[in-house]
Amino acid sequence: MDFTTLETLRLKHPGWRLLVADHAPLIVGFLHRVFVASNARAIAQRELVLRLEDHLHALREQRGAAAFPRGASAYLDEWAADGTGWLRKFYPPEMDEPHFDLTPAAERAIRWLVQLTEQPFVGTESRLLTVFHLLQEMTEGTELDPKARLAELERRKADLEEEMARVREGHLELMDESALKDRFQQMSDTARGLMSDFRALEDGFHALDRRVRERIATWEGTRGELLETVLGERDAINGSDQGRSFRAFWDFLMSPERKEALTRNLERVLSHPAIQSLQPDARLPRIHFDWLEAGEHTQRTVARLSGQLRRFLDDRVWLENRRILQVLRGIERSALAVRSRPPGEGFMSVEELAPTLELPLERPLYGPPARARMADEEVKEATDDVPSEALFNLAFIDKARLRLNVREALQAREQVSLAELVREHPLQHGLAELVTYLSLASEDRKASVDDARTQELFWTDASGAARRATLPLVLFLR
Amino acid sequence: MMTHAIRTADAADTLSLVLVSLLKGAVYREEHAGVWQALLQLQPKVREQLAVLGLKLVLDEPEGYAFLRQRSESEGGVELPRLVARRQLGYGLSLLLALLRKKLADVDAAAGGTRLVLRRHEVHELVRLFLPEGTNEVRWAERVNQDLERAVGMGFVRRLGEEEDTFEVRRILKAFIDAQWLEDFERRLEAYRVRLVEEQGGTE
Repeated sequence: MDFTTLETLRLKHPGWRLLVADHAPLIVGFLHRVFVASNARAIAQRELVLRLEDHLHALREQRGAAAFPRGASAYLDEWAADGTGWLRKFYPPEMDEPHFDLTPAAERAIRWLVQLTEQPFVGTESRLLTVFHLLQEMTEGTELDPKARLAELERRKADLEEEMARVREGHLELMDESALKDRFQQMSDTARGLMSDFRALEDGFHALDRRVRERIATWEGTRGELLETVLGERDAINGSDQGRSFRAFWDFLMSPERKEALTRNLERVLSHPAIQSLQPDARLPRIHFDWLEAGEHTQRTVARLSGQLRRFLDDRVWLENRRILQVLRGIERSALAVRSRPPGEGFMSVEELAPTLELPLERPLYGPPARARMADEEVKEATDDVPSEALFNLAFIDKARLRLNVREALQAREQVSLAELVREHPLQHGLAELVTYLSLASEDRKASVDDARTQELFWTDASGAARRATLPLVLFLR
Repeated sequence: MMTHAIRTADAADTLSLVLVSLLKGAVYREEHAGVWQALLQLQPKVREQLAVLGLKLVLDEPEGYAFLRQRSESEGGVELPRLVARRQLGYGLSLLLALLRKKLADVDAAAGGTRLVLRRHEVHELVRLFLPEGTNEVRWAERVNQDLERAVGMGFVRRLGEEEDTFEVRRILKAFIDAQWLEDFERRLEAYRVRLVEEQGGTE
């Protein structure tokens, strides 16, 4: 706790920054109400915005419309920003809306402020007893000598028998009111403290996960060495101190007898007049349900993190990820080199996510066919002498050959336009051959003619003159 | 006897449901919980039926997705007409998918449990470096948006909730843009670069 450490803490620690923030009363008041007082964990963005708007509205009624001029979402974004760190914004699995949770640091600051205002009654006896109990548990738990252990058990047995004898004689020792209040205070403190522990615990798991991943990502040696040195065992998270302690807590809470005992005892204690006079927190009778809920949240996080980490360490995934990052560096280099003249379309291909199914109802329904229009003035009298055989030459066009051209072209691709076909197989019989292609298209159910778009075709006729035709876009599909 | 008959009818229905769902598109654990469960149970049957069509089931249980792939010729059997189309990708879209794949790898390596969610401007940032300098800003932004739209259409990226400009990169992308695909991409790009240098070599 030297000067520099404290100075950095004040600058960097979200908790301290919250205490010195300009709007601290607004922020703490709101976050306390929404997260701490109601023992809530993740809250959806939309709901949180609504509640903050209500909160701001109420404040503006007291302080005038000029107070806190920004919108609720702007405040939330600021509070969740990296530099502030009072809220954690995240996308829970299976949900499309961002959620918010309080960060452990902010919660600690809020808790400290809460302590400033409450509890005129300070119980000391129960705390001392707790210290005694803890010490005793630790000595017993580490005692190796069976004789010493037995002696201790014997002593406790004697104590119990003595107490039983006193009760049989009618001497009941009752706890006095102040002792009761003292214990209750501590119980409720600890109970609520557990809620904040979950938050810190989850944060701890995330940090652990991050550390392990960082080491994996920067690891230079073999995977075997990595497993040996970094983890020792596969399950880094479940095997950590935090993980084991949390698991023990969870098993304890999940046992039906414990749950029942907890409910029963809570009810009894809370109905005692001395406790009633303390006006206990209304959520206290339900605290174990809140624990269950929060614990489940943590449990899911731990399970998810462990699973992902295991998977990340999986041979295949590990190797593939490294290879991918390496290849991508090469791609980025080349992409930079060619950025002034990038390659064109059709560069790569990828399979679709599902087979292509043709559904009749998804096809266009009947539309009136386009009618060819002929303007009168275009028809002129022929000046050249056209040999009439030209018409009969149509018969020489081998339709089967053209069909083969189409089929061959479709082996390599999904679709081919008439223009492409003509480029690849130059017309040998000019217009007549083109007409035959068109008749092929009209016979083919899968071919399409798009009047909205046109294509241009080029060929050289028998006399060597270049010819050009503009047609609707004809596509042959596989 | 009666119940047995009903049960087999149910099983046949479930199998149909699973098969048709797969034929219509990728199945995700998170979105189609019922179909997913049935798929896990009926896996051998599903594979058997799909083999008839020359299709192969790809099921990634930990990641929670399943889809169909065309059986390749090397896997035996007669060559059947393709049911799964190959889609041509322009250079822009190819590059975008590669960069998104890298982001996914980064997310995997960095912090656990986070999904890859990007705002539109972040996607722009991702490709900005690789676009020709000095071109019309609006034009290239439009092009990137178009590519992003195509990626959405193909099912690799999806819009999140009502926020128009927030996108999630789906993990199924990993199955398509894998190391082999990227190596292929790298090779082609390198070949293109070499050709470009040769062409320009004369003029420079």
